[in-house]
Amino acid sequence: MTSQHPLPIRTPPDRPGSAIALEDIHLTLDSTAGAVHILKGIKLVVERGETVGLVGPSGSGKTSLLMVIAGLEQVTAGTVHAAGHNITRLDEDALAGFRRQHVGIVFQGFHLIPTMTALENVALPLEFAGLDDAHQRARSHLEAVGLGDRLLHYPSQLSGGEQQRVALARAFAPEPTLLLADEPTGNLDRATGDAVIGLLFDLHKRRGTTLVLITHDMTLAEQCDRIVGLRDGSIATDTAVRPAVANGAQL
Amino acid sequence: MKAGEVMLAFRLARRELRGGLRGFRIFLASLALGVAAIAAVGTVNHAVMGGLAADARVLLGGDVELRLAQRHLSEAEARYISDATAAMSTVTEFRAMARPVDNTERRTVVEIKAVDATYPLVGSLDLRPPSAADEILSQRNGQWGIVVEPQLLNKLGVDIDDAIRIGDASFLIRGTIVREPDRVASVVSFGPRAMVSAAALPSTGLLQPGSIVRHNTRVVLDQGTSAEDWIATANERFPSAGWQVRDAAGAAPGVRRFVDRFSMFLTFAGLAALLIGGLGVANAVHHHLDGKVTTIATMKCLGAPGPMVFATYLIEILILAVSGIGLGLALGATFPILALQLVGDILPVPIEMGIYPAPLAKATTLGFLTAITFALWPLGRVRNVPAGNLFRQAALGPAGRPNIRYVTAAGFCAVLLAVLTILTTHDRLFGACFVGGAILTLLILRAGASLATRVAKRLPRPRNAVVRLALMNLHRAGAPTPQVMMSLGTGLTVLIAIGLVDSNLRLQIGERLPDVVPAVFFIDIQDEQAPTFDAIVSDVSGVTGIERVPSVRGSIQRIAGVPVARAVIAPEAQWAVNGDRALTYAASPPEDAKIVAGAWWPPDYAGPPLVSLDASLAEGFGVTVGDTLTLNILGREIEATIASLRDIDWRAIPFNFALILAPGLLERAPHTHIAAVYAPAQSEDLIERRVTDRFANVTAIRTREALEAVNNIIGRIGWGVRAAASVTIVAGALVLAGAIAAERHRRTYETVVFKVLGASRRRITHLYAVEYGLLGLTTALAATAIGTTIGWAVTVLIMDFEWHFDPTVVATTTLVCVTLTLAVGFVGTWRHLGQKAAPFLRNE
Repeated sequence: MTSQHPLPIRTPPDRPGSAIALEDIHLTLDSTAGAVHILKGIKLVVERGETVGLVGPSGSGKTSLLMVIAGLEQVTAGTVHAAGHNITRLDEDALAGFRRQHVGIVFQGFHLIPTMTALENVALPLEFAGLDDAHQRARSHLEAVGLGDRLLHYPSQLSGGEQQRVALARAFAPEPTLLLADEPTGNLDRATGDAVIGLLFDLHKRRGTTLVLITHDMTLAEQCDRIVGLRDGSIATDTAVRPAVANGAQL
Repeated sequence: MKAGEVMLAFRLARRELRGGLRGFRIFLASLALGVAAIAAVGTVNHAVMGGLAADARVLLGGDVELRLAQRHLSEAEARYISDATAAMSTVTEFRAMARPVDNTERRTVVEIKAVDATYPLVGSLDLRPPSAADEILSQRNGQWGIVVEPQLLNKLGVDIDDAIRIGDASFLIRGTIVREPDRVASVVSFGPRAMVSAAALPSTGLLQPGSIVRHNTRVVLDQGTSAEDWIATANERFPSAGWQVRDAAGAAPGVRRFVDRFSMFLTFAGLAALLIGGLGVANAVHHHLDGKVTTIATMKCLGAPGPMVFATYLIEILILAVSGIGLGLALGATFPILALQLVGDILPVPIEMGIYPAPLAKATTLGFLTAITFALWPLGRVRNVPAGNLFRQAALGPAGRPNIRYVTAAGFCAVLLAVLTILTTHDRLFGACFVGGAILTLLILRAGASLATRVAKRLPRPRNAVVRLALMNLHRAGAPTPQVMMSLGTGLTVLIAIGLVDSNLRLQIGERLPDVVPAVFFIDIQDEQAPTFDAIVSDVSGVTGIERVPSVRGSIQRIAGVPVARAVIAPEAQWAVNGDRALTYAASPPEDAKIVAGAWWPPDYAGPPLVSLDASLAEGFGVTVGDTLTLNILGREIEATIASLRDIDWRAIPFNFALILAPGLLERAPHTHIAAVYAPAQSEDLIERRVTDRFANVTAIRTREALEAVNNIIGRIGWGVRAAASVTIVAGALVLAGAIAAERHRRTYETVVFKVLGASRRRITHLYAVEYGLLGLTTALAATAIGTTIGWAVTVLIMDFEWHFDPTVVATTTLVCVTLTLAVGFVGTWRHLGQKAAPFLRNE
């Protein structure tokens, strides 16, 4: 895939080097039943270009950890560096800008906007970034995931696998440095899921994106460079599957 | 936001609208209905006022009209007017009895109009057969002609070419009146019109000194003369003439007042409909955004800044608001045209139908501000949607208070809306009262809803499962109780308030008075006829009482030495100086008179003129005991000193005089008597016949007929007002339908789960009936309390009537409310009852 225009200049990182650096983070959420301590002193560094599989039982804090990295949840204590930026105390709009510049997210439920075509869905983050050629770029991203003939279809006219491919194209379209995926195959059958995962890793390899992926599927987790196991809000295991790749050298 | 971002927000809003209008039908309908109501009311008002303005000269009968009571223009006055104008014409109006020449049984009161050869100066008189007035009314073969309104023929059982007798003269009916250019239908007309030549009047013998008669002289001014200047010069030339002068701008003041009052009522209904429409807008936006939680969260995850998400939905709502307003304007502008096509002929005034930009602009502005004011709060909460929703499979709607910026903006729009409502309402005080009342009503209904949900929560759990579930549905999170109570409650409050005011008004006129009012009134009894009159009437069996008082008509010229044109007079006292008034004299105070200031004169008083004045008039005039009033009686100016002030209960009849003079003055002036005769209904005919057979000049007015006429008119106005007010209930029902539609998914889910758990359709129907019944009943209770308070305030504080609570009004309205809630609730939920459980659960 080739870019027609360079993306806007990104803000210089205040902590270059690692893609994610979590320093002793805690997350406590209030609920009607009382405060719930969800993340308990997590320390995690993910290098640029690294792929990390997040595993653990339900309620162990995987999704909350992903949300903290995406700037969708603010930690109660600790420091969060992502894509080289300290995002710990950014306000809502600054966090939106951060995501626009650095983060792509793939959800289990796809979360395409039902009133927009595939093309418009993929163009959306590029439009938010203020690009004039958003639709041209979106078209080439959709072609890259094999949906060049489905550009004007609405989500309801696409199969689950096709919807997730649109979601992948949308996540990769702004060329993020950090890709977060929350059980991306959870709603798909095995064969379709495998195809989507193949595409995800393929895009990761071609762009050198750092990938953090939540999964219950150990076979899938083992395709990552590293598997981090969570239990009750803390990191229980951190296993390297293969040697880490330094600083996006694969690009 | 930069221009590019705004454009993007536009594009996103357009894409959002692709989802169709589903969920926005209620939004569009609520807004369109409110806007249509305001536009229609304004259009009707402009059409009537436009018609009045266009035909003002015709209605007045000339450029200027001078009205004199009981006397003709003096020679000097007539000469002056004739010299100073291009043309003049005098018409004389009074009431008299008419009867067929060959039938002594039938008779009726007629409104006589005697015209001269130049009538009409402006406009044309349509007669059947077509003819000129002076030609058809002239004396031929010793017989004067007369033209009458067709209903007179029915009343007297006569036809064209039959003769009728009026006073001492007989007239041959030569035609019927199709249209009289200068006749503005008055609210109360005692009889059909009969038009005769002024030259025929002396032969009737009806114009006795002191008779109740008006001589109206209309003039056409020379080109270039302004009516205002002409009036000023004429008044300067004849300062003591005692005439009431008006120009075309003041034509048909009664109709103007009536249209103003009626349009005030309609405006009230229109504004209330718009207010309820606003609630519908708020609910629709709220529910729409609830359904957009995932989209909003997705946008945020993709890096959309908060202001852009807000702008996207604001633009979407604005586009929809423009559509709703457009629809409302189209309806509001065309409905009056269609309606007036149907009923225009029966209206008392000419209608200048058309598209009036001013009321449409007002409706647009108010509609737009209403949409924004009510949409801003739910829109502002868009920014509270947590983007993390997407990870948690939770659809948490926008909750909590919006950012202070949006609260401030909503508050600013609300204030602007209130100010504009007040400024664009004809009567500012009324506008302010509406705004204050609306805010108070909404607050009370909202508090009532909170109270109701709290009570439903705290009640001991009923053993009956259906009632328990119905109660739970009233207070569970997200229950539509507050929306329904506020929207339907507001509509119901309006209906109850209007219904109660109307019932009190009818009670005063239609039901309570006939017990105490006399059966027949007689006017124009000459002084020398009085003793015979008393004797004739007392002779009729069944007569239980006669009251007779002397009466002279006169007008107030100066208040404490200041001419009325320049005096500061309170609006509620203005009526007393608008025309001539009936005056009387008495040695002793009337029975039940409440003297609140000064003292009644001694029975044998014989000094300078004294007057006893109505206390409320004295307040309106700003005078008290010791001040003077200058009266014009039969062309003579009399300065009387106020000796006492009386509290008058105007509803007590038969006779109440705002001004009673001390004896010694009026006895010598030519005057007539008016009398009230109390008798059972079966004696009325005989009394009327005996008196009018004996005195051709005396006119009998049957109270029952007159009251029926008034009652009939009030009834028709009441229906009109209630029909207009029902628009608020339609608006309330729309919002109710919206609230029920908004929770369609939950209802379906609930129904399916109940079915899975073994509930029969009958049982589920029962549950909905209890739930909607309770909701309707609670709403009706709250609305009854507020509506009754408003009704009481209007009746007692504004109309100054005794309060009577009419439970049937409240019961009917409550029944309507409960039925409506049940009906709309059922229509909204009926489909869910048929929902098969399996396919729904598979798709969940």
